[in-house]
Amino acid sequence: MVTVPDVPLGRPRKGFAAWFRRSEAAQGLALMSPTLLVLLIGIAVPLVILITMGFWTREGFGFDTTPTLDNYARIGAEPIFVTFLARSFMVSGIATLVTILLCYPMAYYVAFHVHRNKMLWIVLMTLPFWTSYLLRVFAWRVVLGYEGVVNSAFLSLGWIEAPLEFLLYSQTAVIITLTHAWAAFAILPLYVSLEKIDKSLLEAATDLGDGPVRRFLRITLPLSMPGVVAAFFLIFIPTTGDFITPALLGGPDGMMIGNLIQLQFGPVNNWPMGAALSIVLMLWIGALGLVFLFLTRLAKRRLA
Amino acid sequence: MKSGTYIKRPNRALQIYACVFLFVLYLPVLFIPLFSFNDSIYVRFPMQGLTTRWYVDLWSRDTVWAALGNSVTVGIWVSVISTGLGVVAARAITRYRIPGQSAILTFALLPLIVPGIIFGVALLVLLSRLGIPLSLYTVGLGHLIICLPFAIATLLPRFEGFERSLDEASADLGENGWWTFWRVTFPMVAPGILASLLLTFTISFDEFIMTFFLSGTDTTLPIYIWSQLRFPQQFPVVLAMSSVILALSFVMVFVALWIGRMGVAREYADDPQ
Amino acid sequence: MDVLDHLDAVKRGTLSRRAFQRSLLGFGIGALATPFAAGRGMAQQAQGSIFTWGGYDLPEFYPSYIAANGAPPDFAVFDGTESALTRMRSGFVVDVAHPCSSDVMRWAASGLFQPIDTSRLSNWGDVIPELVNLEGNKADNGMPWLAPFDWGSTSVTYRTDLVELEGEESWDILWDARYGGKIGMFGSGGDAWWSAAIKAGVPFDQIHTDAAFDAIAAVLREQRPLVRVYTDDTATIGQALSSGELVAAMTWNSTAVELQAEDIPVKFAKPKEGALTWVCGLMLHRDAPNPDRAYEIIDAMLSVDAGKFMIGAYGYGHSNSKAFEAFTTEELEATGLSATPSDILGAGHFSTPQNQEWESRMNETYEMIKAGF
Repeated sequence: MVTVPDVPLGRPRKGFAAWFRRSEAAQGLALMSPTLLVLLIGIAVPLVILITMGFWTREGFGFDTTPTLDNYARIGAEPIFVTFLARSFMVSGIATLVTILLCYPMAYYVAFHVHRNKMLWIVLMTLPFWTSYLLRVFAWRVVLGYEGVVNSAFLSLGWIEAPLEFLLYSQTAVIITLTHAWAAFAILPLYVSLEKIDKSLLEAATDLGDGPVRRFLRITLPLSMPGVVAAFFLIFIPTTGDFITPALLGGPDGMMIGNLIQLQFGPVNNWPMGAALSIVLMLWIGALGLVFLFLTRLAKRRLA
Repeated sequence: MKSGTYIKRPNRALQIYACVFLFVLYLPVLFIPLFSFNDSIYVRFPMQGLTTRWYVDLWSRDTVWAALGNSVTVGIWVSVISTGLGVVAARAITRYRIPGQSAILTFALLPLIVPGIIFGVALLVLLSRLGIPLSLYTVGLGHLIICLPFAIATLLPRFEGFERSLDEASADLGENGWWTFWRVTFPMVAPGILASLLLTFTISFDEFIMTFFLSGTDTTLPIYIWSQLRFPQQFPVVLAMSSVILALSFVMVFVALWIGRMGVAREYADDPQ
Repeated sequence: MDVLDHLDAVKRGTLSRRAFQRSLLGFGIGALATPFAAGRGMAQQAQGSIFTWGGYDLPEFYPSYIAANGAPPDFAVFDGTESALTRMRSGFVVDVAHPCSSDVMRWAASGLFQPIDTSRLSNWGDVIPELVNLEGNKADNGMPWLAPFDWGSTSVTYRTDLVELEGEESWDILWDARYGGKIGMFGSGGDAWWSAAIKAGVPFDQIHTDAAFDAIAAVLREQRPLVRVYTDDTATIGQALSSGELVAAMTWNSTAVELQAEDIPVKFAKPKEGALTWVCGLMLHRDAPNPDRAYEIIDAMLSVDAGKFMIGAYGYGHSNSKAFEAFTTEELEATGLSATPSDILGAGHFSTPQNQEWESRMNETYEMIKAGF
């Protein structure tokens, strides 16, 4: 703990000012006060209001503010909400896993096999993400479209007779696009944690007779788990609430919970329902996150 | 132990994988500049012919420039403010023992683990209850909420890794708090501050979901692009604008890297290891 | 030495002042690149603002406004009139908004708008009267709520080479199981619901009844497995029809006009049950920050020049009767218009204004159906 320098002559020794100078907590909080204020106004208050609104009901142009659990009851009872939640988690989950699986070898390559210009590689890998997210999603429409790159290529190669229709306006399209769009959020954490692995451990393992596969399973993989966990959360959480990709590419069967929530604040005009759905989504994400953390800890213990 | 990259034997499969990976990564993105030269308002494959008229149009499309200007303005303000707030927060947390600081931290990082739509909606509800009209300020507030956790997350490790004894030494030598911060702490955490500025600017610049709920008549670039995706009259101009931004980003990043290497090389020329 | 080790040095706190200044230089160069762009967007004084559909933020619609003020008004774009109203109810203020006739009753009831003082509009004398005297458009002081601007039909655009008609043109094309997976429908409730009412044989004056809701919902559910995409995005629909991805879709007249201009064999159907007709226009916000500019915007949009652009480029009707004089009868017929809107308005079905409850219930039901429930 840092010792505060001796109080010079002339400074107050008693009273509030003195207490302030001696109290670390007070000084720290004072220093942080602008940040705390923003956090309070920006996060705490809106969340409280959101939670409160979840207990209201829509009434014409305004709200009926008598607290009721109607919205939550509806979410539990009507199958549409559960289906959408489940579908969103499934789509996000698959996209996240696929992204991590595909990006891991790439991160591994740059961490272990690139000897010079590592920064260049990292920059190269993240530059595509300096374009607008919307345009990247749109670009996938061009690739997957009826007359898009993939279909045109396959047709001209003679692999198919008619354009593949499931490529666009489907959950598949959403998964593919999410995977590509969020790749940077997998590459960076994976790279950082792979890079931090002490190479001497691997050299020691080789000296002791481990083959490359065993080395990977026993040392590299467990030690890169923090990166995997970080990547998982960085991708899974935002994508469950995404409504842009499903809106542009999902078709009727590809809609996700984010669209439902957005609709409540738009044409359906049921703000309390939207608030309740948001809270439910948040709670589910929290629960799933904890489960995932638990699983990875289990895996880590098994592997190491 | 030498901290090299350990593996000397190149793995062919992995190399090929890396190249294919980069190709697939870039392919969709390269369509943006590609179709900015397409001679049609529709983005259809195959292309209809080459033209530079969209770039010429770009110069005179005020709405596109207005949107870009708004995005840049909001981005700069948000990045400066969120980095500033992040700096005081990181400093406070690492320098002082604050009760409940892990709770505060978790709270501050909440926007990282909650989907953007929830915050967008929550802020919209708050603002409408307070009767505050939607404008670029509300958009800025929304971005600030999203960017602050990133700023804190970037800055905290820098402040933590920093030697406190230097702080004390400076105080012992008679420098008061502010000067200590400015001349000792600041240069050492500066790369973190820089990283935070760039990161928060990037996030704010491309932010769509919160902006969608919180914007007024002044649109930001992503909102403008969204409106153009649905009704395509000025769409290729948007593609042209994005290509310009992409090219500029490339240039910016490479220049920054080049400058960094230059400085490093000269340092080593003066001071051989 | 690698830049990565450079970063290592940073972490250990040994970054020299020189290197730090160089990093700043790099950032500074980047920062310098952007202000020139920002500068262009800054030069704006208090302009009037208009909240409108995408595709209407083109300067060609506001010629006299631009002539008077040097720049077009500020635009805000909405996806649909319902979300527009929601936003405005939550505090979003603009000068002028662009709803449609069936929305007037609800929008006026929200208390957010004021009647238009037509004496301030120089082009008002040329506005086609049938468009002004719509149900619910007269406020207590005799002034209209909505200044009509554009009108047209909603019907089926289909590929004449890919669709085999059995008998007359009909809404049934969109329900034809032979073309399953190749049909497009509107994403927003409004027109989709009303056209399903036509298909279900529900008379429009009954549309608020529960029986009507059930019948229309049943018909839409029956259609869902056949629909490839629900969207209002005219670009998407146009592209899909031109490539054959869709063979028939619910559209406004502009889509058929644009596709025919690209020589795609399509036709804008005149269904035997009747097409839907719509009239949209401009409403003035009660708390409009720039009322003078607001009237300039409305007047500009009602002008003959704006009308000619509307008819020529979009194929929609315009409310200024003089705008039609620039086109021949054949040209107008091809786009599905006529110089006397009463012909069209009479032949088609006009969606009647409904209250907020109905609107919300309708939208909610439609979203459920689209989601598959």
